[in-house]
Amino acid sequence: MKFRRIYILWALTALFLVGLIFYPRLVNLQPYWVLVGMTALFYAILASSWSLLAGYTGQFSFAHMAFMGLGTYAAGILIRDMGFAPWQATIGGVLITGVVGLIIGYLCLRLRAVYLALFTIAFAEIFRLVVKAEVKFTGGPNGLELPTYTFPGWLQNLLRTIVPFWDANVYIPAYYTMAFLFVAALLFMFLLVRSRFGIFFRAVREDEEAAAALGVHVVNTRVLAFVVSSMIAGFAGIVFHHFIGLIVPDQMQIGRMSLIIAMAVIGGSQNLIGAALGAIFIHFSLEWLQQIPLPTAVLQHLLFLNDWGFSVDLHAGVLRTNAWRMVGFGLLLMLTLRFWQNGLISPIIDWLARREAVESVAQRFQAERDMDAVDDVQAIGSQAEAGNPQEPTS
Amino acid sequence: MWPLPDVLLHAMHFHMWLDALFKFQITGTYIVRLILEGLLIGVIYALMALGLTLIFSVLNIVSFAHGEFYMIGGYVVYAILHHYKGFPGLLAIVVAALVTFVIGAVFERLFLQPMAKGQVERPSEYAILITFGLSFFLQFVMLGIMGPFPKKAPRFWSFPKIDLGFIRTTKTTLFLGNIPLSGGRIFAAIIALLALAAVLWFMYRTWTGWALQAVSQDRNAAAVVGINPLNMNTLAFGMGAMLAGLAGAVLVTVFSWVPWVGVPASAKSFVIIVLGGMGSIPGSLVGGLILGVVESLGTGLFPDPARAQAYRDVFGLVIFALVLWLKPTGLFGRKL
Repeated sequence: MKFRRIYILWALTALFLVGLIFYPRLVNLQPYWVLVGMTALFYAILASSWSLLAGYTGQFSFAHMAFMGLGTYAAGILIRDMGFAPWQATIGGVLITGVVGLIIGYLCLRLRAVYLALFTIAFAEIFRLVVKAEVKFTGGPNGLELPTYTFPGWLQNLLRTIVPFWDANVYIPAYYTMAFLFVAALLFMFLLVRSRFGIFFRAVREDEEAAAALGVHVVNTRVLAFVVSSMIAGFAGIVFHHFIGLIVPDQMQIGRMSLIIAMAVIGGSQNLIGAALGAIFIHFSLEWLQQIPLPTAVLQHLLFLNDWGFSVDLHAGVLRTNAWRMVGFGLLLMLTLRFWQNGLISPIIDWLARREAVESVAQRFQAERDMDAVDDVQAIGSQAEAGNPQEPTS
Repeated sequence: MWPLPDVLLHAMHFHMWLDALFKFQITGTYIVRLILEGLLIGVIYALMALGLTLIFSVLNIVSFAHGEFYMIGGYVVYAILHHYKGFPGLLAIVVAALVTFVIGAVFERLFLQPMAKGQVERPSEYAILITFGLSFFLQFVMLGIMGPFPKKAPRFWSFPKIDLGFIRTTKTTLFLGNIPLSGGRIFAAIIALLALAAVLWFMYRTWTGWALQAVSQDRNAAAVVGINPLNMNTLAFGMGAMLAGLAGAVLVTVFSWVPWVGVPASAKSFVIIVLGGMGSIPGSLVGGLILGVVESLGTGLFPDPARAQAYRDVFGLVIFALVLWLKPTGLFGRKL
């Protein structure tokens, strides 16, 4: 059997899934690192659902985090004021997100792409400010508490049998729920973009008039992508914050939104998997970059950095870069956009997934030209023999 | 019955707004004061929106980093006045304008010029993301340098003592009859008016201004008569950034400054350019004044003073939604 590149992709996918399942074991069940893994998956869902909208329909929503927060606050208020159970509130929150997304979508998506970007950036910031101010209703800057999910008894027992360390710490059930949601969301979006709707999305992005002429309803297609993407964000937010137990308005600030965009673009916003992997990669890098260990001898010479907002901790032997790591990713975002518009991860996936041709078009073209040249030479030769020299035409 | 959320109660009991009129003894004088305050701040909004309009009309993109130039303009004035005591404030404002101009022009050369030269795929999407990336970058650079705590520049001007009966001044306040107006805002509005006049003079009375207008009307025709559109792009983006920087520089003595202060400011200029019509200079001037007055009236008449400030920006969002719904071309816009 001939070796094909696609086998590498399958092997990597299998490796990733195994890693996803055994990750808590790999980090020795330390609660902090299980939480980091769970948060990385949360950001991965957000980044890939953002890239569903941006990479496939060419519309940019800067309110993705705001929709995440909107769904979560809606769910929290349904539970607190109206006595919903957490799972009912989850469905309710997702539906409310969808309705708001529908209204904003129909308002903006009739117009050029920039209008959605303009409106959502204003909506996101103002929604955050209002949530912060409505202290009686939303808890204000201190946030809104959400109860954690309780699994039904039979499911709990089943999971305990499958995962022996299920009760080792509170983040393990959260991690596995998030991992399940991550796989389910990616699968759903993957099937969506493989369906006829995915073709509509790309058709509308490439040429609006041509798509409309072929019978695609341009506005409805865009609104569908926007609503689905927002609802997935809302769903991820609700589940994540139920396990965290608290949502604060600053979770929706524009800096977080920028980070989601950086994740999606650096991973590759044309590819759902690329965006998700970008998010996981960036989230773990951020954790690692929070404190860079350096020898004290080096740190002594870096003390001047304290004037520029770094904090050089000679005692602990680390350089803390809380704001500056984000500066680095901002710069990486701009450079990626400028020089590698398809992102850094998705070209690799695309290359692995591309079917290898037995003979490339260029090779065939070259071969045909060689054949033509041989013919020409023969023709000239025969003409010369006939005593009638003539310029070859091709 | 389910207990209704607070927000819905507000919407239902609209007469509370009417009650507020009597509770706070809202009189004609109060309304006039609110309108005057709105016009003062509206001039500065108009200055910012004019920068965005300039960028849009020449480069045909919207700069999502506009608020960050506003933020940097303010921080430059703050840093100069903080480190050099007795530095003339007006000169600090000029320095802020130069710094923001240079940052804008350099960014344009490095990241937007490849777009104008056709070296980038999907230019309209690239423009949105790259300017947003710049705003991300600048916000965290300033967070790194300045830290997250609010800063406020010292006051560097004071009114001369005037008493003309109707118009009186104290050191920091101007009274029109019995209406007090904050001196900081008047000072900022005067500088903004001067800057507006200078920009309009530049646009309509100088060769370079005509060249900018020519490029915004037809790039190819402009190139035929010897105008380099690439240089005009750089100039327009730098000037747009400079106008935002100026708006920040004059307001840093009025508001306290944090690295993300530019986000609501840029949201306001987006509302204004959509309200006035994308790319229309008179539209951005009128839109700025309208937004200033609407915000001021809405905030001043809001029934609950404790939350009124947080709702200041909501009125802008409502205007935005109404314009998108009813007249997406805006007040003065021609085409979409």
